[in-house]
Amino acid sequence: MLQLEGIDAGYAGTQVLWDVALEAKQGAMTVIVGPNGAGKSTVLKVINGLLRPTRGKVLFQGNDITRRPAHERTEAGISSCPEGRRLFPQLTVEANLRLGAYAKRARGSADETLEYVYRLFPRLRERAHLKTIRLSGGEQQMVGIGRALMAKPLLLILDEPSLGLAPKTVSEIFQKVRELREGGLTLLLVEQNAYQALRIADFGYVMQEGRIVNAGPPDRLLDLEDLRKAYFAIP
Amino acid sequence: MADAALFLSDLALGVLLGCVFAVIAHGLNLIWGVAKVVNVAHGEFIMLGAYGAYFLNLWFGFNPLLSIPFDAAIGLGVGVLFYFGFLHRELRGKESMDLQSEMVTLVSTFGLSLVLINTAQKLWTPDNVGIPWSPGYVVFGPVQLPLGGLYVAIVSVSIIALSHVFLSKTYLGNAIRAHSQDIPAAQLVGINPTITASIGTAVGFGITMVGGALLTVWLPTGIFPAMGNLYAPISFVIVVLGGPGKMWGSLVGGLTLGVIINVGQLFLGNNLSLAEAAAFLILIPVLLLRPEGILR
Repeated sequence: MLQLEGIDAGYAGTQVLWDVALEAKQGAMTVIVGPNGAGKSTVLKVINGLLRPTRGKVLFQGNDITRRPAHERTEAGISSCPEGRRLFPQLTVEANLRLGAYAKRARGSADETLEYVYRLFPRLRERAHLKTIRLSGGEQQMVGIGRALMAKPLLLILDEPSLGLAPKTVSEIFQKVRELREGGLTLLLVEQNAYQALRIADFGYVMQEGRIVNAGPPDRLLDLEDLRKAYFAIP
Repeated sequence: MADAALFLSDLALGVLLGCVFAVIAHGLNLIWGVAKVVNVAHGEFIMLGAYGAYFLNLWFGFNPLLSIPFDAAIGLGVGVLFYFGFLHRELRGKESMDLQSEMVTLVSTFGLSLVLINTAQKLWTPDNVGIPWSPGYVVFGPVQLPLGGLYVAIVSVSIIALSHVFLSKTYLGNAIRAHSQDIPAAQLVGINPTITASIGTAVGFGITMVGGALLTVWLPTGIFPAMGNLYAPISFVIVVLGGPGKMWGSLVGGLTLGVIINVGQLFLGNNLSLAEAAAFLILIPVLLLRPEGILR
């Protein structure tokens, strides 16, 4: 569904990504793991259009979208929950969710999708009229995922959904992510929490210092001796 | 007793004037919030709105209320020109204003302000003009209110209410608010930032120029090219008082300033400059105690 080919990218002259190539297959959950600063979030920015690569191609459903702006990619079916969630702090939960359905492809069915999101995260229905700035971290993460789902994505991108959350909340969020995957959604997940992420993934990439250094099925990645030491802190 | 009546009357006039202040500040608030630009030429667009009302009166005999749609249309056009002619190049592709863009927009809106004042002085002379429009008075007990001011206050509150409905109930309005809170997040939900920024700027200019037209009711002989120097600072104080980005904040801040300036004159020996100084002084406690504005 999505391919990156030979991507170089960076910020203000500092190159962050070198020759990154990866693929997210239809109906599968692909995970990118790696230590802090490896360039994982930068890869996602290249995919959702917030950062233009200096070299290489982004292909979505066979179309070259490398030069398409971010809002058009959402319209095409790529929807992201960015790092740190980036909700609209002064808007209510429901206003945040409804803005998720801003894309024309999603707007017509916004009411049904909203109902679906509320069934997935019942707590958000109770909090519907609160400003998101007043929510807990876990609830904010639910709004972030819910807002991304409101766009009726073909590909859902989640950047560090476990960031800053209590372990119990992390398990809850991962459980919901797994449910989405079982519902047939194509997912691309970036996580520092490599062990938990790989356990629910279909395919994994390992990043280090701006390059993809390993790729394969999750059980093989979890078995790699040096990876265990370097990233997972498991002796 | 006479003093109490005078106080009540000044209070009421202050409320009416405050409503117009609110509209003017509302325009600034939108441009500031959406385009992230501190428009130093804000006062000059108030001045252009006032002259718009003046010429429509001179040529066609329109009263200031009738000039609203024309000023609004001109303001929208000017806003679109201002955005695409100048801001777009500076803001395109940016997540927020960097220091350099801030300097560029500050210096160039300052330059624009000078150009507008001087052009207006060349075209229309530096002398005061005014609109002769006095639809009479209405008496409430001891208080006598000018009907013109009352009509204008009603229109002012309606403009703010309308813009509130637009910004909170429509997809486009919510997109503009989303843009003003987090540009990359807005892009990720499919909002085209060029559209929201340009429309937000245009609406801000439209409201500012309409505010200038409404203000003429209070200036029977006080329209002149440099009048912005008086009303731009008041707008900035109101936006800070009400809280940048908060739409009802403009109304609360506007009323506060209108009352302080009017009632202040009563206590400060009819001295307008002192009353205005008092209005600025209340900024200090507000910034100390509630830097995010009066409203939550």
